[in-house]
Amino acid sequence: MTGGVIQLDHGTGGGMSQELIAELIAPRLGAVHSGRMEDSAVLELGVSRIAVTTDSFVVDPIFFGNGDIGKLAVCGTVNDLAVSGATPRYLTLSLVLEEGFPIADLERVLDSVREAATAARVEVVAGDTKVVRAGEVDKLFINTAGVGVCEREVELGVEQVVPGDAVIVTGWLGNHSIHILSLREGLGFEERVLSDCAPLDGLVWNVLEEYAPQVHCMRDITRGGLGTVLNELAAGAGVSIQIEERRLPIQHETAMAADMLGVNPLYLANEGNVCLCVAQEAATEILELVRWHPYGRAAQVVGAVRERGGRAWGSSPVTMVRADGVEAAVELLYGAELPRLC
Amino acid sequence: VARCAVLTNDLQYDLVNKNDERRAAVAAFTPQMQRFLAEMRTLGVPVVHLQLINLEDDPHAERYDGWLPATKGSEGARIVAEFLAEGDTVVEKNKDSGFYETELHDRLQELGVDTVIITGMQTQICVQTTAADAFFRGYKVIVPPDAVVSARPEDQARALEWLGSYCATVMPTAELASAIAQDSLPEFSVVPIP
Repeated sequence: MTGGVIQLDHGTGGGMSQELIAELIAPRLGAVHSGRMEDSAVLELGVSRIAVTTDSFVVDPIFFGNGDIGKLAVCGTVNDLAVSGATPRYLTLSLVLEEGFPIADLERVLDSVREAATAARVEVVAGDTKVVRAGEVDKLFINTAGVGVCEREVELGVEQVVPGDAVIVTGWLGNHSIHILSLREGLGFEERVLSDCAPLDGLVWNVLEEYAPQVHCMRDITRGGLGTVLNELAAGAGVSIQIEERRLPIQHETAMAADMLGVNPLYLANEGNVCLCVAQEAATEILELVRWHPYGRAAQVVGAVRERGGRAWGSSPVTMVRADGVEAAVELLYGAELPRLC
Repeated sequence: VARCAVLTNDLQYDLVNKNDERRAAVAAFTPQMQRFLAEMRTLGVPVVHLQLINLEDDPHAERYDGWLPATKGSEGARIVAEFLAEGDTVVEKNKDSGFYETELHDRLQELGVDTVIITGMQTQICVQTTAADAFFRGYKVIVPPDAVVSARPEDQARALEWLGSYCATVMPTAELASAIAQDSLPEFSVVPIP
């Protein structure tokens, strides 16, 4: 089954649906697909605690310089599980396809799902395929669920964040957003600034394997960017957080593009970047370990957690010492003007 | 010896006539731009017009009150006659940067160009993105503030500041023509981010 385009009948549950799944989707996913085509997947997990997440992916364009919506779906789901301290194991994959979508493009996306799932050592255990009329979705939307097993006795969470913790960011800030925005408009940055989309389960596993007691909280820095994550952490833990602009890992070209577009890299979405709050005394060693990983080369300690006390009521709990030495608020944004980045 | 080329952006009927604001800004800029282009041609500097052609199936192409300007083959897509001369080259583009999936880089390489003088409309969009793209590709980039135009002066001022900070030498046309004639173009040096 190659060539041609998706038709409404591919989503009716009849013969063409079965053909699409049996002759295209399952073979393309190959070994990472272990679905039994039943109504649900029954899984032996062997642990008392699991992590469950779900996410939807609507990125535009669906193919970008160093990835596509398929890779994004797997990495986004795996990363959400990994930062919870779980080992990602299983995914579901639901495709909502627009009538007329080229089957060759679907094959490319499925190839990416397979490659990303192989890299992250997860299996696709269940799925669904729907087809809607032209114009009712834009090409392809993907929904996933992810299941991870909690094998380690780690206490991770915003309530574990305490004054004195160091704040580490594992990768360049804003690259995914700038890459996608540049591709959409042909801004000229798309070849210099690539998406950071990557599965971070390995990086996180390395850190927890060596330093689990010193890691207090991890957050996937996706929509809303670091600024939003830090505000959520500060609010949830009842602390303040101060970061330093000079320490933020921002690629020169990303700063150029952000300055041109009038957007702040602090609030841009990332797809392979984690914020860690760790015990100060272990920060240097954890940073070194993160940087050892291919997806952590740009990691930096960007700031520290402090006591909330003494701050004026209503003032932002997150601040940044700018390059000129002035301390400025990092406000929580209530909306974003940049849709469909992930 | 610098091998220069002038790139103009979006000097097309549909685009310069988008609204009164833009029409007025282009009318004010036209005489000096014409003089500059004539001078460059006299100096043997090639002039390449980047022609925006909007594609019907591009959801990000800007519509004017529901219609798509500058479509392929349309009158409105043509380069404005005042800026066009025999011997000039027209390169089609479909996005803001003149290099994005176009033959521009190849054409400039064939001409042996190492320095691009980026002009036209609008300073804060196509001039800025084409300049950044040229810089990333290793060209020296010069932007004359009196050979670029924006509907709003504040947009132009902001864009010129950005260009001068990150990737381009911002230099008035009079100084530029003299520097080209004497082969004494200044070097741009990037100020590293602290």
